[in-house]
Amino acid sequence: MIFTRQLLGILLMNLSGIRQRIAQVLTIIIGVTCAVGVLVSMLAMGTGARRQEMADVRADHATLITSGARYGQSNIPRDEVAAILGLPGIQKGTAGEPIVVFESMIPIEGRRRATGNRIYFPLIGITPTVTQYQPEMRFTGGRMFKPGLHELIASSPCVREFTGFEIGDRRPIHGSDWTIVGHFEQGQAQQCVVYADVDNIMSAFSRNTYSAVSVRLQSPADFAAFRDAVSANPALQLEAQRESEVAEEGFKQLNAILNFVSYFVGTIMAIGATLGAVNSLYAIVDARRSELATLRAIGFDSGAIVVSILVESILWALPGALLGGALAWVLFNGLSASPFGFTFQLAVTPALVALGVVWALAMGLVGGLLPALRAARVPVATALRAT
Amino acid sequence: MRFLPLIWSGIWRKPGRTILIFLQVSVAFALFGVLQGLKTGVEHLIGDARADLLIVHGGLGLMDPLPLALFEGIKSVPGVKVVVPVELFGAIYQNPNQKLGVVAIRPDEGWLSAFTFTIAPDYVAAFRNTRTGAIIREGLLKKYGWKVGDHIPLMSTTAKMNGSTDWAFDVVGTYTDSDVGGGKETLLVNYAYFDEARFAGKGTVNHFNVAVSDPKLAVTVADGIDRRFANSANATQTDSLLELAQSQLQSIGDLNFLIRAIVSVVLVALLFAIATMMMQSIRERTPELAVLKTLGFSDRAVFLLVLVEAMALFAAAAACGLALALLVFPFASKIVPGLSMPFIVVALGVACAVLVAAISALLPAVAAAKLNIAAALARR
Repeated sequence: MIFTRQLLGILLMNLSGIRQRIAQVLTIIIGVTCAVGVLVSMLAMGTGARRQEMADVRADHATLITSGARYGQSNIPRDEVAAILGLPGIQKGTAGEPIVVFESMIPIEGRRRATGNRIYFPLIGITPTVTQYQPEMRFTGGRMFKPGLHELIASSPCVREFTGFEIGDRRPIHGSDWTIVGHFEQGQAQQCVVYADVDNIMSAFSRNTYSAVSVRLQSPADFAAFRDAVSANPALQLEAQRESEVAEEGFKQLNAILNFVSYFVGTIMAIGATLGAVNSLYAIVDARRSELATLRAIGFDSGAIVVSILVESILWALPGALLGGALAWVLFNGLSASPFGFTFQLAVTPALVALGVVWALAMGLVGGLLPALRAARVPVATALRAT
Repeated sequence: MRFLPLIWSGIWRKPGRTILIFLQVSVAFALFGVLQGLKTGVEHLIGDARADLLIVHGGLGLMDPLPLALFEGIKSVPGVKVVVPVELFGAIYQNPNQKLGVVAIRPDEGWLSAFTFTIAPDYVAAFRNTRTGAIIREGLLKKYGWKVGDHIPLMSTTAKMNGSTDWAFDVVGTYTDSDVGGGKETLLVNYAYFDEARFAGKGTVNHFNVAVSDPKLAVTVADGIDRRFANSANATQTDSLLELAQSQLQSIGDLNFLIRAIVSVVLVALLFAIATMMMQSIRERTPELAVLKTLGFSDRAVFLLVLVEAMALFAAAAACGLALALLVFPFASKIVPGLSMPFIVVALGVACAVLVAAISALLPAVAAAKLNIAAALARR
């Protein structure tokens, strides 16, 4: 009880004298603001990329891949089609056909609208069942491609970012012209994707295997039965995965890079900010030498002095954390970024800001430790004589 | 010269504070070094890429195959010296996590001049004479402990005529590659052997490497090749290695904005912190500075004294931080293979440090210079 009262007393004294030390306090706040702001902004890339990757994932979607291959790099021969269509648990479409999507993916070069830089986007040969597989898919212009014709449909990011995707535009692909006949939106996805009839694509590129097969299940609970049926079928060299697993897998590498860079930069900046805080707190403590000595002389506990400095240090770090988080949110939330060929929107979430606050607390605590100990060890006699 | 002891004692007046400032500046410039090193390093890599080696690939992009039959047509374009067919495929060694890139090439006369590889002459000869021969990138050879003469079994998604996906090659030598886009875990094998053995896609190549007779005419030759095949079923797209490096590294270049933002934030935070510290230091030293002036030091001398003190401390700390950056750079540059820290970054860092020091010490230095002796001494 006495300890608490002493602590409160010292804190009040410390805070009342802060106007003279405003420069030091600002130094701490600015340092922490920068460190937290940078950390939160950078982590917002990973969070945003992940959010986007997972946004369109449906629990009733499953994917078949060649054992050991990554999504989109499978080799699934045509003669396995019948066996795949006969698997249990697959949702039936309006015409009673199973909703299975066969894909054949080819990376194609495009030119960015703004810069003219080249960039790759996937041209995906796909079965028309895709509209039932993905009920979120909707057309913003034009129509679906007709099987058997050289027609393409493009997702809206293509139109925004690249040239040559207006409806009616022709793209020469292997000697013949393919016409853009429709634009579509696909949930949250920000990637440019172009669809065409899968049989056309495979004959144009002389391919005889599908690179991916996805199915829509009757319900998410049917996945286990579906997976068991796939592995029990000796004719299929395939394994079944949930769409969420595929998304996690595809995202793993980017996530690792983004997190590594974020924490690398964030840690270094935190160390810098902590060093700055130590220096400022030393200056603050030094300026109070006589007051602290007086307190000790009239019987204040040195433990209370230590804690008071730590509390003060954290108190100055906290506004920095909130300011840093707020700045990150104002400047970067929702901003589009496209590092390493992915495009996504940065997401500053409350969880990230909370993480920033925790970092700030750590910075305050570590930064306050040495100055607090010095404050408690002020030699009473010398400090009082000095004034 | 006579100022040196004064500056030295000024720096060490409060050792604790000096050490903290030193560390803070070091940390800031370590970060500066790594980030700026990444940015400038990437720019250098692009700058070093060869503009005179051409890659002819399908008009739809790098993954678009071309028929081998285009060989003669490309060869007949004026200015083309050497044409080498190249096919690429992926393989794994022992387990799915050990991925390799296999580059199948046709070792015709002079083929090496169309690549950025360095290979010892006897390896080149052995490669030409061994149908199943493979030249391994040096780092890859070391990674798996292979030796020349070894028989290495690989698995691939590319099937052979008999349906098997097992491939095997005999190690005949090693190579190094100076190009940024070369890939690290790669080996070279014979196209003739590979094409004969594979089941699907016979007679196609991923691209042709082309060496030109006059490097100055590379652009003209590239246009010539593309014009030759325009409007045919196999339209081509010819790029130099320089252009490919630019587009490959451009995605990382998108991070330039981020790097610039972080570096500016770090420098601004540092500027503020140091300016406060210097102000504090000058306030504490008011009596000492007044004594100096009493002894006949001019306003300008005192001004310079404070300024130089900050600059010296900053330059030393920045040098220390940049040295640290050089040490950790190999870890940070994992994202971009072959990246090294350019010297210019170190020079830029020290220059930045001196500038930040000058700006942050300006106010305190002016305050010190304007000091009124009588008032300053009376304060005590």
